[in-house]
Amino acid sequence: MARATRSSARVDTVTLAACVVASLLCLILPSGTRQMFAGNLRQTFIAPLISLQVQAERARGAFIVRDITAARLDSLVLKNAELHDMELENMRLRALIGLGARLRSGFVAAEALHRPEFGEAQTVVVTAGSRAGVVERSVVVAPEGLIGYVIGTGEATSTAILWTHPDFAVSAMSADGNVFGIIKPHFGPDVERFMLELRGVAFRDSLLPGVEIRSSGRGSVAPRGIPIGTVVKDITTAGAYARTYLVRPMVMPADVTVVMVLLPASGNLESVWKAPAADSLRKAIGGSSDSLTRARRDTMPGDSTRRRP
Amino acid sequence: MRTYSFFKGAAVFLLLVVLHYTVRPLVGARISIDFLVIAVLLTAVHVRPGVAALLGFATGLIADSLTPLSFGAGALAMTAVSALASWLKSTVFGDNLLLQAIFIAAGKLAFDFVYLVAERRLGVGDLLAQLFLWSPLSAIATGLAGVLVVRTFRISMEPRR
Repeated sequence: MARATRSSARVDTVTLAACVVASLLCLILPSGTRQMFAGNLRQTFIAPLISLQVQAERARGAFIVRDITAARLDSLVLKNAELHDMELENMRLRALIGLGARLRSGFVAAEALHRPEFGEAQTVVVTAGSRAGVVERSVVVAPEGLIGYVIGTGEATSTAILWTHPDFAVSAMSADGNVFGIIKPHFGPDVERFMLELRGVAFRDSLLPGVEIRSSGRGSVAPRGIPIGTVVKDITTAGAYARTYLVRPMVMPADVTVVMVLLPASGNLESVWKAPAADSLRKAIGGSSDSLTRARRDTMPGDSTRRRP
Repeated sequence: MRTYSFFKGAAVFLLLVVLHYTVRPLVGARISIDFLVIAVLLTAVHVRPGVAALLGFATGLIADSLTPLSFGAGALAMTAVSALASWLKSTVFGDNLLLQAIFIAAGKLAFDFVYLVAERRLGVGDLLAQLFLWSPLSAIATGLAGVLVVRTFRISMEPRR
């Protein structure tokens, strides 16, 4: 028993010594040989463990760069939003240049400075004044259509009321020139606050939704043919002496920063804004055909779509 | 029963080796838990010193394969620590938690000491900082983690009869 124990202890000692010697040998091996041994181990026994370590370090890297990535993403989103605004502004400027080319003369390009103070949201300061030929009642337009008109001029700037102003009024007509009325701001509930009304339309005339409304040139405010909006629906009240239509404006003033002020010499501008009557007619026909389709569908019997045996 | 203990020990050993290559890189802190040392120490107390030396040597070579410049240092340190643990097992500790933690921490300290001296890569200042600041802190973390492993897997630290 004692001999067996001694023998086991001797084996342990020899094994330990062998391991220590092997370790020391590994330490003093030439660099190339050590690299070779280590490489062989890495490619065989240790490969799965190295794979695990790589994954773990990637995960740690992902944790570390997460905040940086989030910050970069936020910056990109912000820049993208700014780019979108610039793109819209660019498109508007291009359209304005196109409008200027079509007008040829009789206008002044200017900036519209919005005044966000309480009670001033319905007027803008236009950076063109009497020195540039702007006079009271000069019309302010954007590429899409009418915005307002000038109510006061200085040498270098003017003040214009927007179509949202309670005093705003312009003589208007349907784009085909058959129906006339007066455009005024609509003071309805919140959802309809930024709409217009076409008032004073004779009862014998009627307009379908989608018909384009333009300035008629009557009343010496706006030249004929400037787009104002499109008809949404008839809002005539009971007992009224004339029809009133709700009109969706062509331009939302808050979106506009660059405008054109039309000088008094401006005449008929129908040809400046493209496809006037045709467009109106197309929309009117589209609207009427839709109405007809709807009406026909409503009057059809419920079982008309069933297959008959 | 003996077979069950063997497979359980082998499974815990493999788990600790895997943890060494997943948790440590994931945490990436300078004070790290050395799961390889825990694995070797927990196994060493159940085997003969010769077997413990062989196990330590093999485990050290595994660790060294990722640091070819100090190839052999880990094997030497792990062999020494493993054999020493196997010899000390019956005299120093039993199922006392504190002693187990001290045993594992001391094993980690001994491993770091042998490894750092054998690899001869650090200058005197760095070596002293590593030996007297970072190694003791890592040893404490390793000791605590070792006790946690012992408690979690209900590993007996009593020496074999």
